[in-house]
Amino acid sequence: MAVTKDAAPYLEAFRPDAGEPSWLAEARRKALAAFGERGFPTRREEAWRFTNLRPLSETFFPPVRPGPASAGARTPAGVPFPTYRLVFVNGVLQADAGAMPKGVWLGSLKNALALNRGWVRAAIDPSDVAGGQPLTALNAALFADGFALSLDAGITLDRPIEIVHVADADAPVSIHARHLIVLAPGSSATLIETHAGAGFYWTNQVTQVLLGEGASLNYTHLQDESDKSLHLGTVRADLGKSSNFQHFSLTLGALLSRESVFVKLGESAKVNVSGAYLQRGDQDATHAVVIDHAAPGATTRELFKGVLDGRAHGAFLGTIRVREGAQQTDARQTSRAILLSDRASVDTKPELEILADDVKCAHGAAVGDLDKESLFYLRARGIGEVEARRLLIEAFLLDAAESVEPPALREYVASQVRGWLGGRR
Amino acid sequence: MLEIKNLHASVDGGREILKGVSLSVKPGEIHAIMGPNGSGKSTLAGILAGRDGYDITAGSVTYQGRDLLGMSPEDRARAGIFLAFQYPVEIPGVNNMYFLRMALNATRKARGENELDAGQFLKTVRAKLKLLEIEDDLLQRGVNVGFSGGEKKRNEIFQMAMLEPKLAILDETDSGLDIDALRVVSNGINKLRAPDRAVVMITHYQRLLDYVAPDFVHVLSEGRIVRSGDKSLAAELEKTGYVGVGA
Repeated sequence: MAVTKDAAPYLEAFRPDAGEPSWLAEARRKALAAFGERGFPTRREEAWRFTNLRPLSETFFPPVRPGPASAGARTPAGVPFPTYRLVFVNGVLQADAGAMPKGVWLGSLKNALALNRGWVRAAIDPSDVAGGQPLTALNAALFADGFALSLDAGITLDRPIEIVHVADADAPVSIHARHLIVLAPGSSATLIETHAGAGFYWTNQVTQVLLGEGASLNYTHLQDESDKSLHLGTVRADLGKSSNFQHFSLTLGALLSRESVFVKLGESAKVNVSGAYLQRGDQDATHAVVIDHAAPGATTRELFKGVLDGRAHGAFLGTIRVREGAQQTDARQTSRAILLSDRASVDTKPELEILADDVKCAHGAAVGDLDKESLFYLRARGIGEVEARRLLIEAFLLDAAESVEPPALREYVASQVRGWLGGRR
Repeated sequence: MLEIKNLHASVDGGREILKGVSLSVKPGEIHAIMGPNGSGKSTLAGILAGRDGYDITAGSVTYQGRDLLGMSPEDRARAGIFLAFQYPVEIPGVNNMYFLRMALNATRKARGENELDAGQFLKTVRAKLKLLEIEDDLLQRGVNVGFSGGEKKRNEIFQMAMLEPKLAILDETDSGLDIDALRVVSNGINKLRAPDRAVVMITHYQRLLDYVAPDFVHVLSEGRIVRSGDKSLAAELEKTGYVGVGA
């Protein structure tokens, strides 16, 4: 098979690891071949219409070599409450969370793979080798490490888990990280993942989520990458019966970013995928969510709020599929954006594919300015125009963070938003 | 305190709504402006508070010797003007208490007073809440979010009590209130009465005036004040209707 030109250097950079289980080595080879054939997605593909990946075909980002962190890498202070904390620098685990309670496995995916426990097989998705998603295929071939979390049945962690990613690059590199979350029936966890960094680099990460019956995961992602970087993240979640998945992303950083979330819903499962994106300058952020109602009685809530300034561009693509037989589906999707400058723009593309007849599906999208009467109300009480606008924008954005837990994290998200509005960056 | 002279105004690029309104309000006075629907009452209130969307085509408004029309809405508020909205806005995500403290401190700062700390603020809030019979938990919500019509109006008067304006403009504050709420709201207005403060009440009905006695009553009709008098004019209106007084 032919290999596309922009994919070739990545194929050459591939180095097999003799220590890995054979099933993984084979998956990596197949995934690499699949990526080689497809190459990077282009805007001619419907799902990538609004995301311009040209920087990736113009520049080769060699996979970062594992090594000690450079002195320049600063570890963010993190959230202001106790967590089980893992720190990754350029995709390599630097600090682990220490001893974990019984029935909990939290640490490096590389270590989990070396131990070859049963649950680590879920680290590779069938679609990685099928080639439908070139970036996740490339990630499957090249990922060095990532975090792995496994909870035994019925376990609830006493503290949130905090995963800190720091990137530090003085020459272009790509960081391919893969993460795995496996929650056995009835277990529950809260997870906070942050991305920060300095320099010109490309983060390409994939997170696999597997929730057993009645399991619950509250997942908050704070993306504050270097303003020269590219951040492409994919979350794939498979939800068991009556499980509950909340995913919230706050997108502040990166020059070009795309957060893709794919969710397959089991019977009576609930998903809430929300996000707030704040972009300025030449930043470009896409959120793409695909929800697959594969079984009856499941619920979807999606709420995305964006604020765009300067020449920034935002996009929201939301697909909701209701398969035949997925009766009593209840799905609601909302996307709203506020443009603070004439040159900022946003694209929204909702897509509902409904093959069942007893369903409630609603979607709405709007782009506009702040509500004039609300602004006047605040000003008529003595609050200055700049302050009043800031208050309204903050309220508009934080509406999407209602599902964030614990409340202290919601407050932390609010403080990040206020920081951005106050002109940080 | 407030001098409105021959004020002409139209909605942006549209028809003329105020056709030469003149009104003089002195400290300590309570004025009632009455009139049928569409007479220009709410336009007048909006212009005084600085709402967008009107063209002032002639006339002037001075407040404490300053050109009011040249001031931003926030500067008017900080200078002591308060508009109780006819339709208070719901602002989800902006906490009532947070909003009120910001408003109060902005006003205090402009007056050269110290900003209140959380404890002092709470103490003042408690006292005024009691006066207006407002439940504590309403204040923990977003501004006006989930408030009934009556609660919204009470919240307006509560804000007024907190901000202690020099000139309060009440735009149909009595509309949609049941008799108990009307009593509570009136009580709030009467408590604000002071020799250095003035109130302009805009209303369609006479019943508010049974609770808050005005010094002057004006009838606004088709953009002009067609009659002015004392409290007895309101009683006359009650008998004859607006048509009977030439409106």
